[in-house]
Amino acid sequence: MSLDPREMADDYVLGLMEPLEAAGFEARMEREPALARAVAQARDRLLPLDLSAPEAALPPGFAERVRAAIAAEPPAPTAANLPGLPARRWAPALAACAGLLAGLVLGWQRPEPEPLVIAVLLDDQGVPQAMVEDYGDDTAQVRFLADVAVPPDRTMQVWTLPSAEMGPVSLGILTEAAATRLEGPPLPRPAGRQLYEITLEPLGGSPTGRPTGPILGKGLAALQDG
Amino acid sequence: MTVQYIRPTDQGDLISALGACAAGQAEGIDTILRLEGGRLFGVARRMLGRGDLAEEAVQDAMVQIWRKAGQFRAEDGSARGWIYAVLRNRCLNILRDGRRLTTLAPEDLVALQEARQEAVPQEGWELLPGSGRLRDCLAQLDGEARHAILLAHVGGFSHGEIAGRQQVPLGTAKSWIRRGLASLRECLS
Repeated sequence: MSLDPREMADDYVLGLMEPLEAAGFEARMEREPALARAVAQARDRLLPLDLSAPEAALPPGFAERVRAAIAAEPPAPTAANLPGLPARRWAPALAACAGLLAGLVLGWQRPEPEPLVIAVLLDDQGVPQAMVEDYGDDTAQVRFLADVAVPPDRTMQVWTLPSAEMGPVSLGILTEAAATRLEGPPLPRPAGRQLYEITLEPLGGSPTGRPTGPILGKGLAALQDG
Repeated sequence: MTVQYIRPTDQGDLISALGACAAGQAEGIDTILRLEGGRLFGVARRMLGRGDLAEEAVQDAMVQIWRKAGQFRAEDGSARGWIYAVLRNRCLNILRDGRRLTTLAPEDLVALQEARQEAVPQEGWELLPGSGRLRDCLAQLDGEARHAILLAHVGGFSHGEIAGRQQVPLGTAKSWIRRGLASLRECLS
C-alpha cells in the first residue's frame, strides 16, 4: 500500500482501490482531516472530466420518485441530529470508547490469552456495531455492541486485510449476532491499523471467497500492549 | 459529442442545498436535481452505457446525498466535487457488482462495455477535460498514461480492465496511472 496521502486520494477518487482497501481508507478519512482534504482536492482536480458529460434530461416524474425514496428513509441523518458536531470530531470520543471497551474486555479475559489487536467495527453512520479481538494464533473473538438485524437469507462473514497483496481473507461466518470464537486460516501476525470488517453474505458465506455483500461494520485494529 | 464548457458554478446554492439535506429538508434534493440533475444523469449514462442503469445510479446517489450531506465540509473542497463523487461511487458499485450485471442479457452486457469504451476515445480526448488547466496538464502526459487515467475516471474501468484494454501487464498499467497522476498533481499545483 502506498504511503503518500495524495497518491492514495487519487486512487480512491478514481475508483482504483479494491473494495476492502477503499473501506479502510474511508474509515481513515473519518479520523484524519488531512486525508479527507486530500480526497476533496483530488475530486476537484478531476471534476472537469465529469462536467464534460453531455447533459441528458431525466425522465418525467424522476424528482417525485427521488422524493418518495428519501421519504422512506429513517428520519433525519445522524449528522443533522448533532448540530455543530461534525462526524469527524466524534472520532476521538469513539477511540476513547474503544479503549475503554478494550480495557474492560482485557479485564474479563484474564487469565485467558490476551488479544494482540482489537478492532471496533463501525457502521456507515459511525456507530459501533461489533468488536473483533484477534489473538494472532488464528483465532479471533467477535462480540456485538449493537442489536444487529440479519435478514433470514443472509450470513454474516468476518474479514481481515492482512496486506494489500493478500487481499481480504475470511476469518469465518457467524450464524447469529452473538459472541463467537472463530478459527480462521493461518495468517501473518495481526498488525496495528489492520482492517477488519463484517459483511452480509448469502447463506453459507461469500460464493467468491471475497466480500460481496453490504458492510455491517468496519474498523482498523488497535495494537494491544504487552 | 459536443464541446462542453464548464458553467460558472452555483457553488453557494449547492452548499445551501446540502445544508438543507443535512437538516432534513427535502427541498435540498430538489435544488441539487434542478442545478445538476441533467449533468449527473449524463455522467451516469456515459459510465454505465444504459439509461435504466443511469437512472438507478442517480436515484441511489440522491438517497446517499440525503443520508450523508452532514459529512460535507465546504472548507475541504467544492460541493459539486462532493456530489459528483457520490454519483461516481454509485456507478462504480453497479459496474462492479457482478450479481447486478448478471441480470442483463449477454448482448446487453457487450453493448454496455462498448458504450463505456467509446466514451473514452483515443482521438479527441481533449473534449473530456473541457478547456481548462486540466486539459493542458493532460496534454503533457504520455498517451498511454493519459488514456489509462481517462478510462478509469470517465469509463469507470478498474486497473485490471485497463491493463486488458491497453494489452499490457497489470503492473505496467498501474505504473502508467501512478506516474501520470503524479505529473498531473504537480502540473495542477
